[in-house]
Amino acid sequence: MSKLGRLNRGETNIDFLKWWKIGLAVSALLVVVSLGSLLTRGLNLGIDFKGGVSWEVSAPDVTVDETRAALDSVGEGSAKIQIVGTDIIRVQGPESTPEHTIAVTKTLAELANTDPSNVSFSTVGASWGGDVTKSAIRALIFFFIAILIYLSFRLELRMAVAALVAVFHDVLISVGAYSVFQFEVTPGTVIAFLTILGYSIYDTIVVDDKILENERLVGQSGRLTYGQMTSLSMNQVLLRSINTTVVSLLPVIALLVVGAGIMGAVTLEEFSIALTVGLLAGAYSSIFVAAPILVWLKEHQSKFKVIRERLQSQGVDVTHASARVDLLGVDAGSPAISAGSTKTSRDSADGSAPMAAPTGVIPPRPRKNQRKR
Amino acid sequence: MRRLRGFGSLLAIVVIAGASLIYTLVAGNKPLLGLDLQGGVSVVLKPVQQVDNDTIDQAITIIRQRIDAIGVAEPEITRQGNNILIQIPGVKDKERALELVGQTAELQFRPVLANVPIDPQEATTTTSGNPATPTTTVAPDASTTSTTIDPTKTVGGLPLDVCSAGLSAEEINAGGQAVLPQCQDGLLVGSYAVGPVALTGSALETARANLADSGQWTVSPTFKSGDDGIGGFNAIAGQCFTKGSTCPTGQLAIVLDGRVLSAPSINSQSFKADQIEISGSFNERTAKDLATALKYGALPVEFEQQQAQVVSATLGKDALHAGLIAGLVGLIAVSIYMMAFYRVLGLFAVLKLGVEAALLWSIISWLGANNGLALTLAGITGIIVSIGVSLDSNVVYYEHLKEDINHGRSIRSATDKSFVSAFSTIVKADVASLIGAALLWWLTVGPVRGFAFYLGLSTALDLLTSWAYMRPVVKLATRSKFLLTRPWLLGLPAEKVQERGMAKSSNRPNAEVSQ
Repeated sequence: MSKLGRLNRGETNIDFLKWWKIGLAVSALLVVVSLGSLLTRGLNLGIDFKGGVSWEVSAPDVTVDETRAALDSVGEGSAKIQIVGTDIIRVQGPESTPEHTIAVTKTLAELANTDPSNVSFSTVGASWGGDVTKSAIRALIFFFIAILIYLSFRLELRMAVAALVAVFHDVLISVGAYSVFQFEVTPGTVIAFLTILGYSIYDTIVVDDKILENERLVGQSGRLTYGQMTSLSMNQVLLRSINTTVVSLLPVIALLVVGAGIMGAVTLEEFSIALTVGLLAGAYSSIFVAAPILVWLKEHQSKFKVIRERLQSQGVDVTHASARVDLLGVDAGSPAISAGSTKTSRDSADGSAPMAAPTGVIPPRPRKNQRKR
Repeated sequence: MRRLRGFGSLLAIVVIAGASLIYTLVAGNKPLLGLDLQGGVSVVLKPVQQVDNDTIDQAITIIRQRIDAIGVAEPEITRQGNNILIQIPGVKDKERALELVGQTAELQFRPVLANVPIDPQEATTTTSGNPATPTTTVAPDASTTSTTIDPTKTVGGLPLDVCSAGLSAEEINAGGQAVLPQCQDGLLVGSYAVGPVALTGSALETARANLADSGQWTVSPTFKSGDDGIGGFNAIAGQCFTKGSTCPTGQLAIVLDGRVLSAPSINSQSFKADQIEISGSFNERTAKDLATALKYGALPVEFEQQQAQVVSATLGKDALHAGLIAGLVGLIAVSIYMMAFYRVLGLFAVLKLGVEAALLWSIISWLGANNGLALTLAGITGIIVSIGVSLDSNVVYYEHLKEDINHGRSIRSATDKSFVSAFSTIVKADVASLIGAALLWWLTVGPVRGFAFYLGLSTALDLLTSWAYMRPVVKLATRSKFLLTRPWLLGLPAEKVQERGMAKSSNRPNAEVSQ
């Protein structure tokens, strides 16, 4: 409870410097697994990418074997037959003539004991999937460029680079999950992957904005390394990250469980699996990928390198997160600055960080946008 | 009155949302469902060869005429680059629809055997006819009275609804005689008995519309050289000029997809390939239309069916149903979560979703009724995803608020302060989403576009409601004495200033001040 309470007040003191190492190792492992699976197993591409015909009909009580037997008469005995959702028979075959397509449609209608107009089918030319993929990749490249420019402008170049690496990581892992589990890739999946981009960027921006705010306040005062400051920022936005992920995931999980699982809507399943994987990856990567990369990039910047080296020479432990610093208190001119305290254990830090205790006085914010009261 | 400053936007947004929702309900506007939700046929056609814009537009016109012929309510035919996307919701005869859109239209030159001009006023009757027979309602030019065409009546050997119903390949009968209609704005204005096809559009090189010095619009086709081009044209022109038995009227009909576009009289024995002029009662539009049709005829575009999708009405309905139920369950789940976490502020966040939903529903319905923009399953997914985006704005703000209060600010002063920094974060994040949505919309095809549109729309709405609704409503809450003395109702920590006071409620037994 008390931990939750601290989380609720943004007062956790998790040593992200330590967790980032673990996080990066996990990410590296996942990326390697994803790449390995993509190279060896590849993706299970739906007919939208290979070309072909797919039929769907709601047919309760009809088995795959019965369907195969019935389709043998129209020469589709070797087609791929699945039961998707709860009672939908899906048949997928290679490209063929319209007459043949109609013949199969009629056979399926007979089998399902329904009217041919209740059979859905879709035929796809082999080049269509290529067009969709090509346009998606083109959109992706432009998206990366636009976001890079936008974030460099609104935040800063290093943050933009770190954010894009995180996005790339998310997409790679999501696609990797599709390869590992051999889920079918459909246009719906592509849409979901594209959503992941937006979501991951969104999450990273919120985190970066906080870091930027803290950097202005304390990063230049030289009492913390960039990494320590970032770890602190992470602690401050942790609850937000968790809450955001929960509120984004709940509707998507509802899609997956209620829409796809219970009610058997196939298209929803396609969307929601990719979205669930992507949302989780996005939340994870804004904390465990984008942030450490940003720290790594920043600590190579001379300004922050100097701070780090100076702190190191003072015998300050820079490999761990510092004790909690009340950033606002620092600026309020509190004399008791000992952020460089070598105490690193979370517990001791929490209780005894000698930071500006609230004195009942509102510390003046260093911002200029104060309204007149 | 000063107390109420800054709340105008709250009033405005609530009134706008309420009014637009009421308007939508009263006007009976409903979102137009995409065919993945209501069943129908969707086809993507890709031209086999390189073509220019005019040719594609002409092909779209032809396809539209053909789809109108099978009597479908709202076919949607759009261009995406050089591809043509045809969506026919709720069509009954799906196979015929598929067959019709893919055929290549041919431009023909056919000698006119006889012609009967038809007065469109006379051909239409203003009585509604037998209600049991299908009727096609057309509005002749700009006249306000709508007229009804009785398809059982024939004029000049053609059924009156031929312009909307079209002709089959047998009726067009390229190898022999046929009776073909001339149409104007969907009305039958002439009937032509024509002979076998003398020449096809492939004899043409190009065509253009000219404005002569006299102020008359003319059309100049240019033929190819050789027997397949100008030679063939001169052969039939000669027959018409002499008004021989094959061309007794001296007129040569230009036919595209079974419709007579023009039937100029031939007034010379032979022509040079690039010095032919069709003159008559053209205006700028009709002249350009004919030139475009001739150009199209010169290089009729062949289409390859890239993708065809036939969705049964039942499967579509099931998907819609599942999407809505899942959306509702998700909504209830996040509402409970938000209210458990942020109490009254959480309730405001859920109400913000309500304001957004009212606006979104109105906009989608309006676009569906006026622009034919359909809501697809991909779009619904985009909207469900945006629930998270919208609530995130609240989370960002509320967390900022909590942090500021923890740093010793009073709830009231933190309300304004935090909004400034939180809104700056929200704008950055939302703009990044908008950039993504816009790029997806511009650069992709098919279902991705629908998704991008709705994601972009709801993100823009989030920006609007965050500023116009969330800011004042939270301010309002923090003005309430009742809530201020019970900060746990707001899901906020106790103000540090009052930490020895009553505000340190029993709600947080562990809220020892740790710093």
